[in-house]
Amino acid sequence: MRLLVIIPAFNEEESIGQVVRSIKHAVHKADILVVNDGSTDRTSEVARATGVAAVIDLPVNLGIGGAMQTGYLYAYRKGYDIAVQTDADGQHDAAELSKIVEPIMTGQADCCIGSRFLERTEYRSAWSRRMGIWFFTWMIEWMIGKTYTDPTSGFRAVNRDIIRLFADYYPEDYPEVEAIMLLERQRYRVMETSVLMHSRQAGRSSITPLKSLYYMLKVSLAVCITRIRNVS
Amino acid sequence: MNIYLFGIVFCLMFVFITVELIRRQKLQEQYALLWLTLGAVMVLFSFFPDILNPLSHFVRIYYAPSLLFLVGLLFSLVFIMHLTIVISKLHRRLTRLVQEVSLLQEQLKNGGAE
Repeated sequence: MRLLVIIPAFNEEESIGQVVRSIKHAVHKADILVVNDGSTDRTSEVARATGVAAVIDLPVNLGIGGAMQTGYLYAYRKGYDIAVQTDADGQHDAAELSKIVEPIMTGQADCCIGSRFLERTEYRSAWSRRMGIWFFTWMIEWMIGKTYTDPTSGFRAVNRDIIRLFADYYPEDYPEVEAIMLLERQRYRVMETSVLMHSRQAGRSSITPLKSLYYMLKVSLAVCITRIRNVS
Repeated sequence: MNIYLFGIVFCLMFVFITVELIRRQKLQEQYALLWLTLGAVMVLFSFFPDILNPLSHFVRIYYAPSLLFLVGLLFSLVFIMHLTIVISKLHRRLTRLVQEVSLLQEQLKNGGAE
């Protein structure tokens, strides 16, 4: 099975090199793709310099959704069987990668999400962020009656069917929650598995308090719409 | 300058500018047609304001100008909605275009090797 690790990166020159190397070190047989989302710093050069990652440079900034979709398009056209998405800021532990790939490999699930909260881990985050995560957990539970402990986690592996789906349509910004809803609606088997995550190693979150409120509203609406949208 | 004269001058200018924009190919045909029609209606009403009264009586509006406001507002609203739809569509297409270009670029850099 061919495995592609997609790393969307926007101005992550400080961490991207280390992230790429640690993934290659942890999973030798995986190909790595960095989608440089119109960065203004040296993200692209640093990623290329590692020599183990393919790099796609988006000529303009598309946002996380558009960047991830580019990765899925690439994965689909190059015929990959499994795609893993992971952050460029070093939050996701490369050593944990095989944990989320495993259920896809064995055909247990179509999509596997790495969760920080399924079991007690050392991960700590700001209370405002936890509030947001709780809110989305509650919202998804209320809508489909299934509990996702970490719906905003961007550490996930998907199989070829979902690669094709995401290459065709992938939600815009802050897409993780909406993607869960989409997959549930299409009756894919989505599961969570416990992983260890770090606090970010470099850079800052692109999400400011005011923005996060806006995102909460926007994503909530998107989730509601996805719930009632026609799916074939 | 009284308001009728102002109306007439404004409408004629509006039509003139619309024609000029079409001539310079700054308006797409579908919108050109829309604005020309709107301009014609406006010219009609500014030259013959008296036709507004029977029209509003016909739809039982007793203060004639409010018919103008109503129609104008609804037209604006529908048109803005239409533009938002167009922008959303363009946005989706632009995203896909950017993705395709970047994928092609990546392929080129690898010497076109698959």
